[in-house]
Amino acid sequence: MRNSSDTAVEVVDLGKNYGTVKALNAVSFTIDSGQYYALLGPSGGGKTTLLRLIGGFIQPTAGQVLLHGEDVSHLPPNKRPTSMVFQSYALFPHMNVERNVAYGLKLRKVPANEMRDKVDWMLSMVGLDGYNERMPHELSGGQQQRVQLARSLVLDADILLLDEPLAALDAKLRKDMCLELKRIQEKVGITFIHVTHNQEEALTVADRIAIIADGDLIEQGTARDIYETPRKRFTAGFIGDNNVLGGIVAGVSGERVTVDLDFAKVDIAAPGTTAAAGDQVSFSVRSELLRMVDPGQTADGAWQSVPATYLETIYLGLTTSHLVRLPDGSEVAARFVSSEDDIGSFETGQAVTIGWPSGRARLHVS
Amino acid sequence: MYDDFANPWTIRLKWSYLLLVVVALLSPVFYIVYISFNEHGFSARIYEFTFDWYRVVLSDTILVSSLSWTVYLAVTAVAVTIPMALLSAKFYKRSRRKVAFVALMLSPLFVPADIMGSSLLVFFKNLSGAFSWLDSVLGVNWFDGWFDLGFLTALIGQIIYTHPYAFIVILITMSRYRNQQTEAARACGATAWQAFWQVEFPQIRVGVFSSCAFVTILSFNEAVRTALLKGGFDTFSNVLVAQMLNIGMSGESYAMAGIMSIVSITVIGSIIVYTLVRAERLERKARAMAEPVMSI
Repeated sequence: MRNSSDTAVEVVDLGKNYGTVKALNAVSFTIDSGQYYALLGPSGGGKTTLLRLIGGFIQPTAGQVLLHGEDVSHLPPNKRPTSMVFQSYALFPHMNVERNVAYGLKLRKVPANEMRDKVDWMLSMVGLDGYNERMPHELSGGQQQRVQLARSLVLDADILLLDEPLAALDAKLRKDMCLELKRIQEKVGITFIHVTHNQEEALTVADRIAIIADGDLIEQGTARDIYETPRKRFTAGFIGDNNVLGGIVAGVSGERVTVDLDFAKVDIAAPGTTAAAGDQVSFSVRSELLRMVDPGQTADGAWQSVPATYLETIYLGLTTSHLVRLPDGSEVAARFVSSEDDIGSFETGQAVTIGWPSGRARLHVS
Repeated sequence: MYDDFANPWTIRLKWSYLLLVVVALLSPVFYIVYISFNEHGFSARIYEFTFDWYRVVLSDTILVSSLSWTVYLAVTAVAVTIPMALLSAKFYKRSRRKVAFVALMLSPLFVPADIMGSSLLVFFKNLSGAFSWLDSVLGVNWFDGWFDLGFLTALIGQIIYTHPYAFIVILITMSRYRNQQTEAARACGATAWQAFWQVEFPQIRVGVFSSCAFVTILSFNEAVRTALLKGGFDTFSNVLVAQMLNIGMSGESYAMAGIMSIVSITVIGSIIVYTLVRAERLERKARAMAEPVMSI
């Protein structure tokens, strides 16, 4: 294992075209050794392409992949210090669990005794003690993914690539496996790069998250940064349950920007913004920050508020969403923890005021 | 699949029909095999079991020579066609224009055997002429006799004929194979060849072995095309047909037909039995490994 301050992966202007289709556009980023890094984004956004480029399963059209500082762009997968866990169907069906896990060790000609010990140890790590003789078709989906994980981890590769490893599992199992993955990563201490389109999965496991969409790296940061202070409009729309509203900058005063929504003006805290009067911008407010009050109740200076019309309430178990329509026709949702939902009852079509704490909305110029 | 409410007589009727079809298809073959062991031949009142006709066949140098030649052709055709069909099937899976690819691969099937045989005959004659001309221009004899009618030309004709069948049979088993398994093997450190041989091949070998059997049988079955391209009517099938035409069905003819039938049925039967037994064995193993469900 390398020093944790090392850079495990460096991607430099990496691009991939399929004919005339651009799957990835000159993406650059670095991943530290020992980090759990998630590539998150909508389907077809290029995240699996990026992972496969790092793993050497496809060759880049442009740019470089450096693993521990060495350019490996020209090397096939078996010559890279990586291993990979696939979405599904990747266990060898004609081999039992033990032979599946031992496959890579056998290729490396590891002595039989050592191989057996390593396989047993790894199966115990993924919670599959005693499953050595089972065939893949005798295992559940979750168990199959654990075997895949064991098969990859047993190789002691520095970097483990996970391509939607939990996508084929049911919601409960996915949640359990998320925590399991995180626990295993912390135990083995190697770099995990995990591709997923499921934001909850990424937020649960990742030290850092990169948002990938339309072949571009939109932004990256810690799970908290990405969730609470998204810089890009796309991120705000993709992560969490954000309400994204658009308007024109009416004025900039120090670190505050006044946005004209046509039906109301709101102040947004935007330190270091490049926005200027007249610019088309957007801002986002997470649904759990929105509060709903009667129109008669005026918001104090610590709150920003806009008029709205009440639409409906949707009970979601842990949370309850209240939908309202703004005067421009857009709909926004205010979300409450169900057990603390004490806003009272509103009638459909009733005029209300919605507000959020000043300073909690995020301005997006792009 | 039958539902629980199906009339049992409908089920019996369907199975009876299936049995009837199989019996209708195979009984003439079994009858010929039966006759081939009769010392007194066809339509005799007495049946006395004997291997004599087989002994006669195997001591007939013309027949043994034609049999050896056909076996040699079949083995070589298998050795060349199966890897080609395997590569074609792998290319097909990667191909983006699958319909065009399949049409191209199967196109030899749409040309009648006689037409294909005579076309290749003309082609090889011209090619031979072209090479002779090249030899004379260069003042050498390097290309002399390359495409004279013989084993090579018959083999090429056989490959063109059997490749589409082998391609389809392999493709059927390969369609169930997930390429992610190859990638998983590569990620474990396998080279492309190791990934193919250790991971993919074991999963498609039934198709590959079936194709081998198919190509072998087709090599024995093929008469006109091989005769045209070999330049002589002395392949096993042709000798058999010639005998029947010249002297009618003799005990030898039945024994020859018996050899071909027994070999074909044994090869195909073995594959079917092996596949069924293997499936049953895997199922039994899965049942034995399954956790019992206890009452609470």
